[in-house]
Amino acid sequence: MAMMPKRVKYRKSQRGKMKGNASRGNFVAFGDYGLQALEGSWIDAKQIEAGRVAATHFLHREGKVYLRIFPYKPVSAKPLETRMGKGKGEPAFWVARVKPGQVCFEVGGVAENIAKQALSRVANKMPIKCRFIKRIHSL
Amino acid sequence: MEKGLLLKAEIREQSGSSNAAKIRKGGRIPAIVYGHKEEPVAISLDAHTLAEGLHHGHRVLDVQIGKKQEKMIIKDLQYDHLGKNIIHLDLMRVDVAEMIKVEVPVELKGTAKGTHEGGVVEVHADALEVECKVTDIPKSIVINVKEINVGDSIHASDVELPSGVKLVSAPSTLLLACNIVTEAKTTEELEAEMPTAPEVIGEVKEEAEETEEKSSSEEDK
Repeated sequence: MAMMPKRVKYRKSQRGKMKGNASRGNFVAFGDYGLQALEGSWIDAKQIEAGRVAATHFLHREGKVYLRIFPYKPVSAKPLETRMGKGKGEPAFWVARVKPGQVCFEVGGVAENIAKQALSRVANKMPIKCRFIKRIHSL
Repeated sequence: MEKGLLLKAEIREQSGSSNAAKIRKGGRIPAIVYGHKEEPVAISLDAHTLAEGLHHGHRVLDVQIGKKQEKMIIKDLQYDHLGKNIIHLDLMRVDVAEMIKVEVPVELKGTAKGTHEGGVVEVHADALEVECKVTDIPKSIVINVKEINVGDSIHASDVELPSGVKLVSAPSTLLLACNIVTEAKTTEELEAEMPTAPEVIGEVKEEAEETEEKSSSEEDK
């Protein structure tokens, strides 16, 4: 199994709504460069893992990759060829809720052009439009 | 001495997010002016001139409100969710001779020695709070990282500040450290660490309670 929480309060959750933009986690905080989501979506654990592998593989132990999102939300599904009803399905996978502006991945300790290439590979693994950003001081 | 940027301000009569949105649509940025124990004033500034001034590194502004011209410092800047556009700014009235506390960004210079040995320079704090005169605010505090080896770190107390600038941040504030990058785990290694299903908080308790109840009922019999 890919990433998931170690402990949860409830095994299943409702879908919920995703309104508005990211008001937290919308700037580069740990590395020097980041990948910012321009759309809102659920990003599942497999996609996050694919992005992480793509970046670390490209960087060859140079620099550091930071994950800023974590799949904490369980999504349930019913087995194939099952009639409707009989209660909610079992958790099938885990997702991170990503709103526009959320920084999903960060890279530090490498030159800008290398970071750009690494994060562009990550962006290809994401189900949403993303953009490359740099760490900026607010003033 | 840094030359202030002259901006003409318009007083905002109405407050609220919808009015602020209208102002932004009109090419202006809402702002608030406070300080010197005077009443706060809601104003708006021309977005283009301000953005240009900020791009050139101006922090001290000469703002003309009506016929009165005052010196102000940018205390806070708010960006939109994408960090692209400025949506609001806080301005504080200042005197030229006044000592003020400001946050100054930290700028790294050079390549650390440790990076050639597989290390990565991690920035823990990208700004320092300092106290200085309005005219002496440095654009940035430059730290030379050429001599940094793996395992070395730089704290706020290690930084050489320009004359007339006093450190306000705690001297023990960690600015940067050079550490060896541990090899990233493969997907298989991560999967081995991860549980097949997460532990549900409270589920164990319920089971324990059930067993307790059973044992008590058996005793009663």
